[in-house]
Amino acid sequence: MLIFFLDRFYQSLYALKDNLRRTLLSIIGIAIGIAAVMAVGAISKGGNYLIFSELETFGLNSLWVSRDRADKDPNRMVREGTGISNNDYLALTADCCSAVHRISAIVYGTRGKRNIIQANNRYSNAQLQGVDFSLTTIANDVIVQGRAFRSRDISKRRTVAIIGPTVAKDLFGEASPLGREFRINNRKYTVIGLLEDKSRDFLASIGSAGGQDANNRILIPFTTFQQMLGNKKINYLQAEAVTQVQAAEAAEQIIAILKRHNGRNFTYKSETMASYIATTERILDGVAMIGIIAASVSLLVGGMGIMNIMSTSVLERTREIGLRKAIGARKRDILLQFLLEAVVISTAGGLIGLTLGTAASIVLSELTGFPLAPSFVVIVIALVVSVAVGIISGYLPARRAANLPPVDALRYE
Amino acid sequence: MIHLTGIYKSYRVGERDLPILRNIDLKVSAGEFIAIMGPSGSGKTTLLNVIGCLDSVDAGSYTLAGETIEHATDDELARIRNRHIGFVFQLFNLIPRISALRNVELPMIYSGVSPVERQQLALQALQRMAIDDRADHAPNQLSGGQQQRVAIARALVNNPELLVADEPTGSLDSATGSEIMNLFSQLNQAGMTIIMVTHEEEIAAYAGRIIRLKDGEIAADDKRC
Ligand SMILES: Nc1ncnc2c1ncn2[C@@H]1O[C@H](COP(=O)(O)OP(=O)(O)OP(=O)(O)O)[C@@H](O)[C@H]1O
Ligand SMILES: [Mg+2]
Repeated sequence: MLIFFLDRFYQSLYALKDNLRRTLLSIIGIAIGIAAVMAVGAISKGGNYLIFSELETFGLNSLWVSRDRADKDPNRMVREGTGISNNDYLALTADCCSAVHRISAIVYGTRGKRNIIQANNRYSNAQLQGVDFSLTTIANDVIVQGRAFRSRDISKRRTVAIIGPTVAKDLFGEASPLGREFRINNRKYTVIGLLEDKSRDFLASIGSAGGQDANNRILIPFTTFQQMLGNKKINYLQAEAVTQVQAAEAAEQIIAILKRHNGRNFTYKSETMASYIATTERILDGVAMIGIIAASVSLLVGGMGIMNIMSTSVLERTREIGLRKAIGARKRDILLQFLLEAVVISTAGGLIGLTLGTAASIVLSELTGFPLAPSFVVIVIALVVSVAVGIISGYLPARRAANLPPVDALRYE
Repeated sequence: MIHLTGIYKSYRVGERDLPILRNIDLKVSAGEFIAIMGPSGSGKTTLLNVIGCLDSVDAGSYTLAGETIEHATDDELARIRNRHIGFVFQLFNLIPRISALRNVELPMIYSGVSPVERQQLALQALQRMAIDDRADHAPNQLSGGQQQRVAIARALVNNPELLVADEPTGSLDSATGSEIMNLFSQLNQAGMTIIMVTHEEEIAAYAGRIIRLKDGEIAADDKRC
């Protein structure tokens, strides 16, 4: 069976030598189509990496709730404040909301013009955040050295800190920062944990990531931070929904409680990671759709080219078809011969497209840092598509050839 | 070996049925060498195509080597042509892009002979036609006579019982034509049944029996010897 097929395949190569120039055009069409198919594959793969390696650094189930300062309701008294108090937070942490898995208060701000962070005359320009013990879990922060906050660190307002790798380098150089001391606004803090290096290179390169450098953060208990600032304000809340789809519901539940407590004075807004992910996926889908359209158009053009070549070929070789039938070719032999020729053209195009697409994916991998080399599945799809284009576009001409009556074909001038 | 009875064939031209073959009764025994002659348009090629199982008829019956042809399917006809009949044409009908050897291999592709064996048998057939030194030549690198020898090698390579030839010398000069006819005579002496269409009396003279067609009917059937 294999021998038989290779044999027929070999025969079909002869025919293609003849129409080389026309054949090449169709090959290019198919090649572009297949390369586009692979580009779509690389883009969706890249998108997945973006979502699951960089967006994940914010926590895929994360949501944020804060006072809506854009509120311009003239009937409402303008109030100062963040709209979230320690009392509100107490209610929120008391297992309030079915869709909320974890929640953390976030406090930021400065005492004086800016917070001065230093250790032995080495300074850091890190962003300072007061958080609850749950934050590192919510935000997918991995602590590579030391430990996370415990509830006692928060309740006892301990002067302990978890720092990012950039901070560690700025303050302590290459030495391990664990157990070392540094000062924030002249108060001594002890490093109890070191955060894992979080790559947001791609987001940073497209100007996103909220202007935050995840590696240049210092986390301290929000209670300690409030003490330093001399107030009991919580700037915003970061929470983790039970599941990604419940993120919006979780935000609503939190806002409902905040409204019950402060509804006369403040309004609130929320953002969810899920909506960012949805936006990203929508953009990726759009790009993929354009790619699929481009791929379909070039495959169509390539397919029509093949149909054209094969039709001409059938016409030019009418006598050959008659002769082959006279000496014993059955309908299916002729059909197979011309189908194989069409498939050889389309598969040649497919292989070239595969090569180009792979090369492009590798270049793209280098540029973005995502591993975008085509997967086995994409390669199989590309090959199946190119063979299918050959069969579909070769079928009508091949059937015409197979159905030619031998006498008519032999009489053809 | 061949038995045609009451063959009728017509083509529809506009409103009317134009009869091409009428009342054809013909018996051919194994080993005969027959020439079909007649004016242009008298139906010679059509009759030869019917005998060669390339064309269908409207009425009548046909048996070839014990097989009933008129009820055979397309695939069965293809098999019969492949195994039992060799074809030689006026314009040789070699496939231009492939070598002489590969042209001779063609019938064996359709009878499922393995590539290696195919090449050996094709070379032997070319040897018998004394043209094996041109095995690697493309048809356009061969003279008309050489091309016809390759075509005959192709017709014989599957060892058919019947050789069917439509004006095999029609495109050749008379010297080359005689060469081809000598080959035919040799084949016939070796037992091959040959049916050939020709316009030339000198060519027909090689045959042992001459059938003359006129307006689709057998006008004369001269058996010499
Ligand atoms: N497909 C067809 N449709 C209509 N008429 C046809 C067709 N094929 C052949 N004929 C007619 O059948 C008749 C016999 O044709 P055929 O080719 O058998 O003649 P021939 O004796 O071989 O002639 P020649 O000596 O010129 O080759 C001719 O009149 C021809 O025009
Ligand atoms: Mg004729």
